Amino acid sequence: MVGLVLRSPAGGGREGDTPLALKNTIRGRDIISCRDLSRGDAELIFSLTEEVVSGAARLENTLAERKIALIFVEPSTRTFQSFYVAARSLGAEVLSIHDPEVSSIAKGETLYDTMKMIEGYGADCIVLRHPARGAARFAAEVASVPVINAGSGSQEHPTQALLDVFTIKSKLGSVDGIRVGMLGDLRFSRTIPSLCYLLSNYSNVKTYFMAPPLLQVRREIELYLSERGVEYRKVVEVDEIREVMPELDVLYVTRIQKERFPDPTEYEKVKGSYVVDARLLSYGRRELGVMHPLPRVDELSPEVDKLPNAWYFEQARNGLPLRKALLYLILGEAG
Amino acid sequence: MSAESLLVRKIDWGTVLDHIPAWRADQVVRLLNLESLKRDADVSVIVLYNVPSRKLGRKDIVKLYHYMVSEEEAKILALVFPQITINYIRDWKVEKHSPGLPTEIVGKIRCPETTCITNVEREPATPRYIVMREHGVIACEYCDTLLEIERIPDFLRE
Repeated sequence: MVGLVLRSPAGGGREGDTPLALKNTIRGRDIISCRDLSRGDAELIFSLTEEVVSGAARLENTLAERKIALIFVEPSTRTFQSFYVAARSLGAEVLSIHDPEVSSIAKGETLYDTMKMIEGYGADCIVLRHPARGAARFAAEVASVPVINAGSGSQEHPTQALLDVFTIKSKLGSVDGIRVGMLGDLRFSRTIPSLCYLLSNYSNVKTYFMAPPLLQVRREIELYLSERGVEYRKVVEVDEIREVMPELDVLYVTRIQKERFPDPTEYEKVKGSYVVDARLLSYGRRELGVMHPLPRVDELSPEVDKLPNAWYFEQARNGLPLRKALLYLILGEAG
Repeated sequence: MSAESLLVRKIDWGTVLDHIPAWRADQVVRLLNLESLKRDADVSVIVLYNVPSRKLGRKDIVKLYHYMVSEEEAKILALVFPQITINYIRDWKVEKHSPGLPTEIVGKIRCPETTCITNVEREPATPRYIVMREHGVIACEYCDTLLEIERIPDFLRE
């Protein structure tokens, strides 16, 4: 067991006694899929995130000698900004492509070449968002430095799932045994697969996939959950949604995108059925937490913002300390 | 004397792929990328379509004169066409080959997911699949998309 030592020039950090006396299993690793993360990996990240939130761990300037590249080939607000602020507060130099229109990517540069170039500029870690499924895994094969998947098309978004499960844990105290309803576009959402994979590390978690048939989860997710013995149920009928509401601890809402429907009238038919408002929440338990990876459009009524059930702004806030902890664990001297 | 031998003479050296489902021989030719052999003067490819068969009713046969199918290719053929018979011929002697099943397939199949990195133009990402025989699918190692084994011939790379 290697003690995880938090270095802090400001003197606010502390040496690796509990809970951070854990082996750093994250150091130098790629973060491509939540299937690659064990419960122990996730708990290590959560432990340090908690310490960052509470102020017990101050990681400022611990990565002063490092360069972190943020390559975002798709639009992003929260993920880019939180990685940027996290990297800067850790003291790292940031190389970034945020607007592919003004980079060589617009000229048709391949991801392969972009990775080689960024690595050539001395990046110690590459954070990548890309519209193609599998882009992050490919990038990790090309680059010799750790790659963090910040969204690979509709495939995965592992750091979102980490902050989601961290939020659930901090709100409920435990993740084991929870009942999670996932509502909206489950087929094209990249956060849903990552969340399912990460939750599968916890015992007795049950998931309800609440979506019309066209937007139900992809088969590979069902297969993965079945192989790991994770219980799930598909909730297709709108009436069924109200029925299962009382069972839920968490309702995770994703945006339904109109462009996914081949027939616009199909969208018009279902869109109203998947709006989360105070009325729908009245069918659930008083403590039910509502989460959303944001941005939202019409699927989550602003009237929910005022209710204690609204966890989504806290969820979004957790992105910063979590990404700070993650970058530190991958690149820092700990462990 | 079988119908086949009436049509085409025996070969002394090469591979005979027998019991291919009728009218599927073209898929075998594509799967083996036999077109890449067109500059090889020694190799001849004889394709028989819709030959009577006791086992299958009708079948296709591909004879590869002076060409030995590799172990990797044999495994993929056995996965996609479970009834196929692979015979290696050396000096007129027939040696029936029973390959195992592949655990991974590299490069031969394009991903059915159009947004997969392996389908992005000019990106040097070679498609790679894990075989999940027990579930009847192969899974793209890059994008996780599943492809049913029986649909593999529809996604052979050109």
